[in-house]
Amino acid sequence: MTALLALAAAAAAPFVFTSVAHQSLLVLIAINVILVASLDLLMGAAGLLSLGHAGFMGIGAYTSALLVFHRIAPFVLALPAAALAAATAGLFIGYPSLRLRHHYFVLVTFISGIILTLLFTSLVGVTRGPMGLPGIPFATLPLPGGVYTFNTFQSKVAYYFLALGLAAGTLWLRGRLMRGRLGVALAMIREDEDLAMAVGVNTHATKVLIFVVSTGLAGMAGSLYAHYTTFLSPETFTFVDSFNLFVMNMLGGAGTAAGPVVGPVILTVVRDALRSISPVLAEIAFGVFLIAVIAFLPAGLVGALQARRRREA
Amino acid sequence: MQFLINATFIGSVYGLVALGLTLIFGVMQVADFAQGALYMLGAYVSFYLTNLAGLNYFLSLPAAMAAIAGVAVVNHLAVYRPLRRAGGATTFVAALGILLILQNGALWAFGADYRLIRSPFGDAKVLLGDSVITYHQLFIIGTTALLILAVWLFLQRTRVGKGLRAMSQNRDAAALVGINPDRVAAVTFALAGALAGVAGALVSPLRAFDPHIGALVILKSFAIVIFGGMGSISGALLGAFLVALAETMTAAYLAAEYADLIAFVLMIVVLFLRPQGLRGRPVAL
Repeated sequence: MTALLALAAAAAAPFVFTSVAHQSLLVLIAINVILVASLDLLMGAAGLLSLGHAGFMGIGAYTSALLVFHRIAPFVLALPAAALAAATAGLFIGYPSLRLRHHYFVLVTFISGIILTLLFTSLVGVTRGPMGLPGIPFATLPLPGGVYTFNTFQSKVAYYFLALGLAAGTLWLRGRLMRGRLGVALAMIREDEDLAMAVGVNTHATKVLIFVVSTGLAGMAGSLYAHYTTFLSPETFTFVDSFNLFVMNMLGGAGTAAGPVVGPVILTVVRDALRSISPVLAEIAFGVFLIAVIAFLPAGLVGALQARRRREA
Repeated sequence: MQFLINATFIGSVYGLVALGLTLIFGVMQVADFAQGALYMLGAYVSFYLTNLAGLNYFLSLPAAMAAIAGVAVVNHLAVYRPLRRAGGATTFVAALGILLILQNGALWAFGADYRLIRSPFGDAKVLLGDSVITYHQLFIIGTTALLILAVWLFLQRTRVGKGLRAMSQNRDAAALVGINPDRVAAVTFALAGALAGVAGALVSPLRAFDPHIGALVILKSFAIVIFGGMGSISGALLGAFLVALAETMTAAYLAAEYADLIAFVLMIVVLFLRPQGLRGRPVAL
């Protein structure tokens, strides 16, 4: 019920906030919700901390952008291809590294993210490296009446609804996965991996599966981002961006139902507001904020509210 | 031969930062990313003292060490100490927070222009057979060797140094035999800060720098520390040299663009084959 109300509010949002700047923020929030919800499949559901999520988003973004740019595939095929590419990378990185435990896994994801960013920068022949990739075509959708082009320079509303639909889908999928058998297995792994193994959960296969799903969704978000801004640069997918997603998830509350929405909404808006004052001060404030969140809100806003309600009850 | 010279010189710089990082990790179990910002600040302290205040470059080095050691202790007292009960991943994120604050603070205070410290040696160089080494590179290698020796003596001979080693072996036992963990931690941060600060001040006459210089340096030093074994001093120094050698070889035979990648690739390989690193003790992290 709360979820439907939130969805209705989200659908009404572009008609309340009619300025271009606000609508642009709405699109970015929707994309960030996909990223954070997918990250939470690791952090919240499985207790696996991944600090390279922006790298997988980058794989999806570049895959989709290049496929459409070189006219190899239209957007409707490039989007799943982007998810597939990121998921494949997730399989290659996740399969060996998920045998490592705790800190070592966190380290590998972190370093993988850095390697991916450095690859985006150094593969100049493919990605144009630090110069960036401009002129990415808008997303298109084949409809019965002809092909619809999401010209995000003219209007962001249509694209917002596309992103919103995919974000809602991601949240729905996350809810289903967490409530189903897989979610139970992941919760056991999170609480006590040895015990989970002892009662017959194939912990490695389960972790690899959720990692592949998570990175695939990040790739899809990357594709959405690429055809929204129509410009990609390695600087969008650095380890700071991975940390940003991590902090959004922490702020909202890892593992909580509303966390992956609350975190992105607040942090996207706050960061944008600060940036419009001064980009340098925004980064300083982000640093302070980051430390404050982990020091004072380890369970996130939603988690803290739930704990408070439990105390009162 | 030229490879070895370049690797020794680059490895010296990585070694100083990695040494501080591994000391902090051993004592505090914190992957202190803020060291990257301290490296950058060290370069700025030396730059302002030498180029603007007209101080002798050699005097600016101890000044940079002292100033940055101070900043490192402030970081410890303001952030790491209050967070010491939190897990490793949490302090890791806090460290990045400090890095962002200091980096952008520097951007705000010093501007985004590239700077270069005037080297007291100018461009003077020596020829060794068919390879070349500048006096400044020699000076860096020599100073690094002296500093490493000093750190080693400090750890082996002094009371505080022994306390530091004891704490990195077993925190609780060290506290039991009367070692003050707070004091040792503060000394460790000061020492690591001084090393990072002087590393920045040493390199900056050779390479132009801006407020963002620290991020890549610390990422690589971090990879080196993992590669060598977290908390291991010999591992950090060996790792620094090997990574520097691999980088110079990659730049020479493959392509310069890939040189920055090699440290991370080596680190991943080591993590899979020997998770405790080259010289690390097997630890349950």
